[in-house]
Amino acid sequence: MKKIDKQVLKENSKKTLKNIILNHNYLFSLVLLLVVGSIASPNFLSPANLIQLLRASTIIGIIALGMSLVIISGNIDLSVGSILGLTAAIAVLVYNGTGSIFVTLMFTLSFGLVLGLFNGFFVGKTHIAGFIVTLATLAAFRSLTVQLGQGGPLLINNDFYYEGLRKIGYGTFLAIPYIVWIFILATVGVWLVMTKTKFGRYVYAIGSNEKAAKLSGIKVDLMKILIYGFAGLLTGLAAFLYISRFGSVDTATAGRSFELDAIAAVAIGGASMAGGKGFIQGSFFGAIILYSINAILNAFGVPAFITDLIKGILILGAVLIQKSLNRNKEN
Amino acid sequence: MKVEFKNIYKNFGAVQALDDVSFSVPEAEILGLLGENGAGKSTLMNILGGVLKPSSGSIIIDDEPLAFLTTIKAKELGISFIHQELNLVNDLRVYENLFLNDEITKNGFLNKKEMIKRSKDVFEKMNVDIDPEAFVRDLDTSRKQLIEIAKAILFDSKLIIFDEPTTALTNEEIKILFDIMREFRNNQISCIYISHKMPELFEICDSYVVLRDGKFIDKGLFKDIDEQKATELLVGKKLAKEEIEYDESHIGDIVYEVKDLTLNPYFKDINFSLRKGEVLVITGLFGDGRGELAEALFADRKTESGDIYLNGNKMKMNSIISVMKSGVSMVPRNRKERSIIADLSISDNLSMAHFTSKHKKLYVSKSEEIERYEKNKKITQIKAESPLKKITTLSGGNQQKVIFSRWFELNSDVYILDNPTQGIDVGAKSEVYHLIHDLSLQGKSVIVFSSEYTEIKKIANRVIVMYRGQINKTLSHDEINEVDIMYYATGSNLKEKK
Repeated sequence: MKKIDKQVLKENSKKTLKNIILNHNYLFSLVLLLVVGSIASPNFLSPANLIQLLRASTIIGIIALGMSLVIISGNIDLSVGSILGLTAAIAVLVYNGTGSIFVTLMFTLSFGLVLGLFNGFFVGKTHIAGFIVTLATLAAFRSLTVQLGQGGPLLINNDFYYEGLRKIGYGTFLAIPYIVWIFILATVGVWLVMTKTKFGRYVYAIGSNEKAAKLSGIKVDLMKILIYGFAGLLTGLAAFLYISRFGSVDTATAGRSFELDAIAAVAIGGASMAGGKGFIQGSFFGAIILYSINAILNAFGVPAFITDLIKGILILGAVLIQKSLNRNKEN
Repeated sequence: MKVEFKNIYKNFGAVQALDDVSFSVPEAEILGLLGENGAGKSTLMNILGGVLKPSSGSIIIDDEPLAFLTTIKAKELGISFIHQELNLVNDLRVYENLFLNDEITKNGFLNKKEMIKRSKDVFEKMNVDIDPEAFVRDLDTSRKQLIEIAKAILFDSKLIIFDEPTTALTNEEIKILFDIMREFRNNQISCIYISHKMPELFEICDSYVVLRDGKFIDKGLFKDIDEQKATELLVGKKLAKEEIEYDESHIGDIVYEVKDLTLNPYFKDINFSLRKGEVLVITGLFGDGRGELAEALFADRKTESGDIYLNGNKMKMNSIISVMKSGVSMVPRNRKERSIIADLSISDNLSMAHFTSKHKKLYVSKSEEIERYEKNKKITQIKAESPLKKITTLSGGNQQKVIFSRWFELNSDVYILDNPTQGIDVGAKSEVYHLIHDLSLQGKSVIVFSSEYTEIKKIANRVIVMYRGQINKTLSHDEINEVDIMYYATGSNLKEKK
């Protein structure tokens, strides 16, 4: 009897190519885009260009990882762009003051975490909708950032930058940039948390049926605080990469509308805005797809003014493809 | 209206939901459609209502053969579907719900007066007093059900499908419903009635059709069969499990005590105790505060005063998880809303309470989870293809077994079961009764919240009857009978005193 069960089990979990495509159909969009890209520009599929593509997607990608948790739990975080701006701005001052990469990294992680927990506290404890809480902190954090820089940029002390942080922003290991390695490691880490730990199960459970989750003994309020904290932590990491890469923070624009790109990446990756469904690896590829779209528009020489229009259309298309494939799976 | 199903097949992927079903619904009759959950009743009715298309076969309506119906076509023909789950918009008024998408207009504006007038007429005809201008959210569940029925009357239906319409109704309202149905029959309207409650089927229906595993099994007249025969047709050769043998020899000392528990306006001064191995049923009628009491016992609701003792120690009621850890489990009512985590697998659903209160490792081990499933599968007899499939792929009865397993994993001293057989079929119900009995034999104490008399009679060592938030009467096993339970549940003893 037991043997038969095991066999059935094996067959069910067998990863046929068809199943992989149906379950992770964002890969379909990615392949499609790469093909289109290679038509637009013969260099599109060159290693240098692909690495450039990956590098461009890291900052939004890492934010999207945290956003995935918030969205899978049935919520939203609109404040990530402002969290990045504020964290990066203060991090410039911290770095200029200490000259220590380690201290700066620790600062960005913990400060991002604190800002995320602040959001989470209001969502979990006061039960104000996440949309409203983070809409408020989107405005508030940005205002603090602009105040800090008096509307202008904050620059990293040049002597420090070339000797230190810049190496992280531009250095490579095995021909792949450090920041891409960090993106990949972060994705694997978050994927492990979401698929192999009970914390991950709870995130899905809360997004799927909050009442049932609560009645199974999950501390839903605490979980919401932690989920926003997690998103803040990853945004802090993104802020660290941001200053490593750019060496300065324009307080008015740094991170502005990053929340929209992150949400788009998560949606392209197959998460449901209603919660309960989504893949971490989906968000990883979602971010890459988003930047492939940007790159292709560049390659085709689309005028800058209408790139966002076409980007919007392509995002809708990518999500639509994914939805219709999902429907096929169910029928 | 005459309806004939001819060789209807319907498959969802590999699952054959309907397999060559043919029968006809006679005009001006009430047809009882019998079948366990998953027998294909809902699929067939959804085909008639135009929600689903059959894979093959035809539906002949008044001599006109159709390959399939659409919801619009069904409505044109006069087919109404009164769903078990309510399809009302809570934030609209009663009349706005009745005329939703069929609003009466005058010069392009809503003709509110006319709609309210017609709504009033319908309620008068039904002999119920519902204010057409009330907001639906302010009405009881039973009233909401009556609004669904009013909808069918309002639009001159020729055939009405009732899918378990009495779940939320009081006896008085069921009587009204049955009067309305008889009136329909007199007016040449056909009815299809789906219910798991045998006495109701025998009271209201003329003929029956039995489906099992998607196949047509039998048809005939109710007057030619009895309940025993009907149950046999329903469950097939699977013999209904033998009756539970009642005994009290395993009942021990008091383990659980509730003292002066109060939460206004829901319940007041609740005092009772529970012995080791005892099955205590708490019953009553709608609005007696039972649901709130069940929630309070599991710390899902804060009380104003009162204490609960387990094994002589005062319980900390500050969080659900602390109640779970001290040795109390609860299977909540309304599985879909309160238990099922639809996006998770069977295995994850099963292990959820284990995760929150017992799991200590950093990672969740897949093989351990599958072992846990296999172990519980033997105890609760879950029938599933694979534990990795989503829980929503299971029938209602099997879903409930997974939820039972979720709590059995905790090996608690006290089990609170809030309406544990809601929406599951006869066969699965009987299995649940055996599970409850087994729990008591293992020395677990069980509190069951239930309002089904047949169920109470089968499982209870003792019954507490509530009336308006207070314990009105406690009956021992030998004193349990339907008349007395109703007498105390309606508070008749208190009225007599006055």
